[in-house]
Amino acid sequence: MSGQSDPRGSTFSAAELEFLAEDETIEIVPNLRMERLSLICGDFGPFRPQIATQVPIWLAVALKKRGKCTIRPPDWMSVEKLTQVLEAERDSASSFEALPFHYVEISRLLFDDARDDIPDVYMVRSLIEDIKDVRFHKIGTGLEKLSSRTYAMKLNLSAMEVNVIRPFVTGGLETFYKLGNPELIQESERPEHRRPQPADRGPRRELRR
Amino acid sequence: MANYYDIDDILADEELVPAVFLEAVNGVGLFESNEANRIEPRSKVELPFWLAQELHLRQAVSVNIPPCFNKKTREEIGADGAHVDLRSRCSYFYELGCKIVQLIGDKTIGSLLLVAFQTRYKEVLIKAHTAASALTPKFLSLLTKEETKLYDAAKSSTAAFKTWRMGGPRFQKAAVLGRKRKPIGE
Repeated sequence: MSGQSDPRGSTFSAAELEFLAEDETIEIVPNLRMERLSLICGDFGPFRPQIATQVPIWLAVALKKRGKCTIRPPDWMSVEKLTQVLEAERDSASSFEALPFHYVEISRLLFDDARDDIPDVYMVRSLIEDIKDVRFHKIGTGLEKLSSRTYAMKLNLSAMEVNVIRPFVTGGLETFYKLGNPELIQESERPEHRRPQPADRGPRRELRR
Repeated sequence: MANYYDIDDILADEELVPAVFLEAVNGVGLFESNEANRIEPRSKVELPFWLAQELHLRQAVSVNIPPCFNKKTREEIGADGAHVDLRSRCSYFYELGCKIVQLIGDKTIGSLLLVAFQTRYKEVLIKAHTAASALTPKFLSLLTKEETKLYDAAKSSTAAFKTWRMGGPRFQKAAVLGRKRKPIGE
């Protein structure tokens, strides 16, 4: 799958990522009575007042805008959880905490349309901002280690973070690959460049669990 | 030619390289000396790379190492690669370097390119993701075309993310939708 807004199809726009994030499910408490909805992506409902149910975020936001439900913010979006995550992010220089793949987009969607359903919304918002800033900083310092020996990177990054750094990283890696071509480099210099660097590999974790 | 449709590849081919004619050539003239339509052997000229390459393959000229890969530049890159003004020396430093290595087989240039990129890459990374726009013009003037491209890619993706986060119109109305339909048959 590739983005539509970029002619080369190599990156998504932020709005496209937001669109993809809207397919994640979230719990809502409806206040209307409605039959089961049978959609291509699955069946949702039936909707009964005060009975919680799981729906995609786009549906939750649409219902919320019409005043037909309250959204229950996901577990990770509580002040305690986010404080923990932020502390853990600050403590470890190289590893990234497990957050939902679309946490940037989901939080923005909920902040825009469901502010009254999130307890301590200002606190949550600033925590997420802080987490995001810490993570971007770590990504930046991690990328400094990129070199011609970098073949694969596995990080616990979210969709938006990957998307922001993608053009730069792919461009940089391509150039490294091109210049690191053994045809161009003197044989005698290669052992020096080929130091085993276990510490240099940086964080290696699954991109998505 | 590696990438026929790649504009950067074509422009990199335009870079001048010093060459020495090995044979006398009739029917051509240098711009500076217009007395005769003939080039003597051992006359030094600067040719665009694409021409020098073809002539080199036909053993009509011998290509020398361009001044941007000379000893002085090497020392400067070794000392502080991040602040060497490569653009004024050769705006396609890396592209031309790769081509020159393949042509004359001087592999020290290849290592120089890698070392240069490794040191300068970090600077580009830091500047692109953090620096305020007021800082950049001076720094940008040092970068080669390849590095500028990388810098712009990083800058624009970061900027796009920021504008999205600041908010803005969620839905963009297609221009067609705003218009009122004209009644037919008037």
